[in-house]
Amino acid sequence: MKTKVVQDQASALGSSRTVPEPVISAVGLSKTFGQVEALTEIDFTVPRNSIVGFLGPNGAGKTTAIKLLLGLSRPTGGKATLFGLDSERDSLAIRARVGYLAQDPRFYTHLTARETLRFTARFFYQGPKRAIDHRVEETLALVGLEDKADRPTKGFSGGERQRLGIAQAQINYPDLLILDEPAAALDPVGRRDVLDVMERLRAHTTIFYSTHILDDVQRVSDYVTILDHGRLVTSAPTETLLDGDAATYEITFKGNAPAVLAAVRAHPWVSETSTHSVNGATTVTVSVSDERAAEADLLRSVMALDEVVVTAFGRRQYNLEEVFLQLVKGHGE
Amino acid sequence: MTTTTTAHSESPPLIPVRATGWRGGFRNLVRKEMGQWWTTRMWWVQTLLWVLLLNGITTAVMLDTGGMTGNEVLQETVQTFLLVAATAVGIGVVLTIQGAVVGEKELGTAAWVMSKPASRASFVLAKLIAHSVGFLVTAVIVPSIVFLVEARYLVSAPIDYGSFGIGVAVVGLSVVFYVILTIALGTMFKGRGPIAGIAVGFILAGQFFKGMLPLPLVMATPWLLGDVATSFAIGTQPDFNRSTPIIATVIGSVVLAGLALWRFEREEF
Repeated sequence: MKTKVVQDQASALGSSRTVPEPVISAVGLSKTFGQVEALTEIDFTVPRNSIVGFLGPNGAGKTTAIKLLLGLSRPTGGKATLFGLDSERDSLAIRARVGYLAQDPRFYTHLTARETLRFTARFFYQGPKRAIDHRVEETLALVGLEDKADRPTKGFSGGERQRLGIAQAQINYPDLLILDEPAAALDPVGRRDVLDVMERLRAHTTIFYSTHILDDVQRVSDYVTILDHGRLVTSAPTETLLDGDAATYEITFKGNAPAVLAAVRAHPWVSETSTHSVNGATTVTVSVSDERAAEADLLRSVMALDEVVVTAFGRRQYNLEEVFLQLVKGHGE
Repeated sequence: MTTTTTAHSESPPLIPVRATGWRGGFRNLVRKEMGQWWTTRMWWVQTLLWVLLLNGITTAVMLDTGGMTGNEVLQETVQTFLLVAATAVGIGVVLTIQGAVVGEKELGTAAWVMSKPASRASFVLAKLIAHSVGFLVTAVIVPSIVFLVEARYLVSAPIDYGSFGIGVAVVGLSVVFYVILTIALGTMFKGRGPIAGIAVGFILAGQFFKGMLPLPLVMATPWLLGDVATSFAIGTQPDFNRSTPIIATVIGSVVLAGLALWRFEREEF
């Protein structure tokens, strides 16, 4: 596969990482409904073979953005390209390579699950019938709907419709899967299954999905794009977001806390410290201005103290929920 | 995607669809729409309804001759059949398919289909074709055949099959017009109310006002197609040019179909 190296989204955050040519690229993408600005000049990219979580509070503009990418709606400003094709002009060619799951998937109620998948498959394949039926069986098995394959979808529960939605979205071996809240109507087991499917498909496809379930994003996403009130808050590698803006380390130990604090604060590159104790163990959180020096000397200086036993040391990992709330709150202000 | 995909070692390779442009998804959508007519109970419900309604009325006319000659009975029944068919089937079409487009927009199935490689023209044309065929068969052709069988046994005068066939074809044109009108309105409105109101209102306006409005204006509508059909079927000559309403309806159908395609192309989901 020929790939062109382009600037990483992380460059906005000061990283020098590079990624292959993006599958999705949005530049100044905007959508206005009357006086309401649903999306305001958002820019983001989705690298090939990555899983990108698309986050934002309700009404942030996630579904609007997805509809613009699929040509279901027209942008009022900016443009989006998928596989280098224009989302408006080349919509049909784009949709031939995309699998899409809507937020609340709806199907023709007189068709069974099998008929629905066969109908979907025929948009992509003209035959032969045996091969289409085989592919339908595969996708039914993938989402665990074999035993309900011949039931009309009219009687399907939300979770069953969701599973069928996932099945139809990847029946054409899509180069890009766009999933709008794929796990919203699923129980914890169903959610886990969806994440497993996404991880399995990662090698063959790119996945761009919106969700409210931040644990899922943290578990499977390589990148995170966050919208709020129709504006882009951030678009960055998950790892970068979880690391936070400032380099912060945590040292957990048992022993003389004042001595540890004194040793830590003696370093000129330590800018801030805080402590908390749980069950006899103390954790010092240390913000630093020089990461290299911190990694070389911080732990060593604490371990040099006689009356201290270090039980854990590492760079502080933020929880995505913390990051999300912080970013959205900061953006709102 | 232009490459052939192997689905399974034991399964033959999947052959990608080649259709592009407006034909994208056309065959699949026509098959689906046809399936909605012919693989559900819709076909027999519609057939039963129209046979009971149209043939029920004409049977009553055939049996109640009231001293008329066989030829008079035949003319009376043919006229009743074609006039009622031209109006009642039109109303039936509107009431049955008023939600064909709007319902899909409301439910989200239209957006789902449009997320696949299907053109918007295919979506509209598939509905026009399937509903036209469905109503032509169940509400025009089958009742017409039943009518001919009835007439053969219940009316003493022989029927001219060719002339009757032309009359039925004219009624068929009227039915197709109302299918196109209803689908076109479905692309323009977000609710069923305006669709049913406008389309049924248009049909009923023809019934009430066609005698009051200037003839050239009325001739430019499908309102006279029942009369045209009757005149062909029983060999009478109306006081207007029979081809004018036919041509006007064909032009109107093409314009409405064009409007439907244009409007749906601009639909946002």
